[in-house]
Amino acid sequence: MINRRHFLTTVAVGTASAGVLAACGTGSSTSGQTGSAENPVTINYTWWGNDDRAERTRKAIALFEEKNPDIKVNGNFTDFAGYWQKRATEAAGGGLPDVMQWDLSYLRDYGQRNQLLDLSTVNINTDAFEKSLLPSGQIKGKTYGIPTSTNAFAVYYDPAKLASLGIAEPDGSWTYKEFNEFLTEVGTKSNGAIFGGTDYTGVWWMFNIWLRQNNIQAFTEDGKLGFTKDDLKKWWNLTADLRGTGAIVSEERVTQLAPKSPFGSNVTATEVTWDNFMAGYLADSGAKELKLAPVPSDDPDNLGLFLKPSMLMVASAKTKFKDAAARFIDFMVNDPEVGQIFKTSRGVPASKTQRDGTTFEGTDKLVVDYEKSIEKYLKDAPEPPIVGFGTLEASFKRIASDLNYGKLDINGATDAWFKEAEDLIKQNA
Amino acid sequence: MTQSPTLSRRSTTSAPAQLRKSKQRGADARAGYTFLLPWLLGFIALTVGPMISSLYLSFTNYNLFEPPKWIGLDNYTTLFQDERFLQSVGVTVGYVVFGTPLKLAAALAVAMLLNSKRRGQGFYRSAFYAPSLIGASVSIAIVWKAMFGDSGPVDQGLSFFGINLGGWVGNPSMTMPMFILLTVWQFGAPMVIFLAGLKQIPNELYEAASMDGAGPVRKFFNITWPMLSPVIFFNLLMETIHAFQIFASAYIISNGEGGPAGSTLFYTLYLYLRGFSDFRMGYASAMAWLLVIVVGIITLIFFRTSKSWVHYSGDAK
Repeated sequence: MINRRHFLTTVAVGTASAGVLAACGTGSSTSGQTGSAENPVTINYTWWGNDDRAERTRKAIALFEEKNPDIKVNGNFTDFAGYWQKRATEAAGGGLPDVMQWDLSYLRDYGQRNQLLDLSTVNINTDAFEKSLLPSGQIKGKTYGIPTSTNAFAVYYDPAKLASLGIAEPDGSWTYKEFNEFLTEVGTKSNGAIFGGTDYTGVWWMFNIWLRQNNIQAFTEDGKLGFTKDDLKKWWNLTADLRGTGAIVSEERVTQLAPKSPFGSNVTATEVTWDNFMAGYLADSGAKELKLAPVPSDDPDNLGLFLKPSMLMVASAKTKFKDAAARFIDFMVNDPEVGQIFKTSRGVPASKTQRDGTTFEGTDKLVVDYEKSIEKYLKDAPEPPIVGFGTLEASFKRIASDLNYGKLDINGATDAWFKEAEDLIKQNA
Repeated sequence: MTQSPTLSRRSTTSAPAQLRKSKQRGADARAGYTFLLPWLLGFIALTVGPMISSLYLSFTNYNLFEPPKWIGLDNYTTLFQDERFLQSVGVTVGYVVFGTPLKLAAALAVAMLLNSKRRGQGFYRSAFYAPSLIGASVSIAIVWKAMFGDSGPVDQGLSFFGINLGGWVGNPSMTMPMFILLTVWQFGAPMVIFLAGLKQIPNELYEAASMDGAGPVRKFFNITWPMLSPVIFFNLLMETIHAFQIFASAYIISNGEGGPAGSTLFYTLYLYLRGFSDFRMGYASAMAWLLVIVVGIITLIFFRTSKSWVHYSGDAK
């Protein structure tokens, strides 16, 4: 008995200490900054997107590894919402991936909090970029993100659906009143089978464009709100008569269809959003062709449009492989072959080198042509939005949805959003 | 193993033998604690440690990136001016108050059916327990969402009877019934415990009652209920605590947003959104501690009131 017990004690102590020792052993040091073909360094790269983007990204990574045998890229992806929750926990633990695909909405949150590498300190060629675009990746003189591509706001429509209802295609210029009438006409003529569109006043960026059309800044230089409650009330009043009619799809349907969009599900005839969603909408809806028209404006000379970086490439401030990360970013934004792989699925390539090296056909050409057609209306890209903007954007959508459910009236919705926004700005001040 | 040292301890007489035994007991304890060590380390590092740090964080403004700033009780006081917080409390309380009793009633009813002697009872027991095995999983929440969606089986079934509710998922007044049905359907775990409890009730009691001419209702309220009351108490307590913690199904069915119109904004979901979407970890920690305190108080109330209706065998009645 005693022997057996001694034996057990020894085993238990041994097992426990083995675990502790093993835990100590994992903190081995990594070799220097650069690798070689025989002994490559590995960098982690993460992005959000669907399977289609994953496929394209893997191709691009394979090409990069072929051209740079001293670097291996370990890729990883999730959907958009989960992406930011993951980054937040990684940042808290000090373990952000070396290179990341990034969104403008979150650039300040991480850049201002010293989580991202200042890319002007490493070697990335930005000669082929529009000078007006680069500032959107910069905060207080530091470059945290390089745009991969641009997108612009547009009204999507399905010409086949309009033809079947006997409605003429938009002529490329409309006021809000005309646009509303158009949405109503779709609802009336289809007898409720197809809705005109979703409630465009629930989209933050469309609101931002409307503000620009009225020469109002969304955010002031010092990170405060640049518009008043009355502005927001006016905006939400634009579709007040349309809610609950065939012009606008009900929130019940939108929720049922999520995460698919009503437009992608063939429930609406139009959608107001970024032009790089084209490939996704085509795949979702199975439509033969989709077209783009400019957003409505009451001032035909000021559409409030701008090119926004549809996504940026950033690096972690803590990466051990600055050089490798920079080479990978440079490759992803400038290489013409990468352009050939992604076409317009990331947006229209921002770098002229990449854009000129890419052949655009079919719907890709539509997107490129659209951005060319609105060129004369384009104004400077907005500065990176305020810290916590991702939250504001989400609450804007949520409160507009409450408005459509009839849970809040316009005054209540405006008060609710301003309360959240002011609370957030105070919180991050 | 546990028996023999106790027995031998009683039989020892001589001093050296006692010394030897106590040494041996020391070794026993060492072995015991050593075997416990991995669990203890995990408990301290993964449960107690984070709890203490979250208690600290609940008094700070912490955004994950910058060091926490001490703000005292601010998080706790602003909670009660936060309309979404109040909404999440309302949603969760509604779910606990309606979902838990219904679930327990279903569990008890099924347990009583399965307690009778019938052929193939083993099969029925497994079949009724099965939903609970897969119940908490992600896949069931997805299936549930599809079933209660527009033109899903539930919608179609109801329209067959002339009830046109449309999809439940997008209708703010139907989402709560949907979640309650989901939890009621997962009655397996309390059902098994009820079944075990029912088997403990001596059959003679029922026989004697029958002799005295008691009907099934009388037997239920005068025999089954009091005899089963400790088990009912246990199940009520556990299910109430569980119900307060509902998260996974709410997250999946509402795409992590708590919609439509905030009707599925459960407490833990809002806590999660505050922490990981809005980066307000201090606020989220305060919410977590408030939940711990409230659940603790409710548990205490349950224990206090239990004296009046829970009967343990051996109690003087």
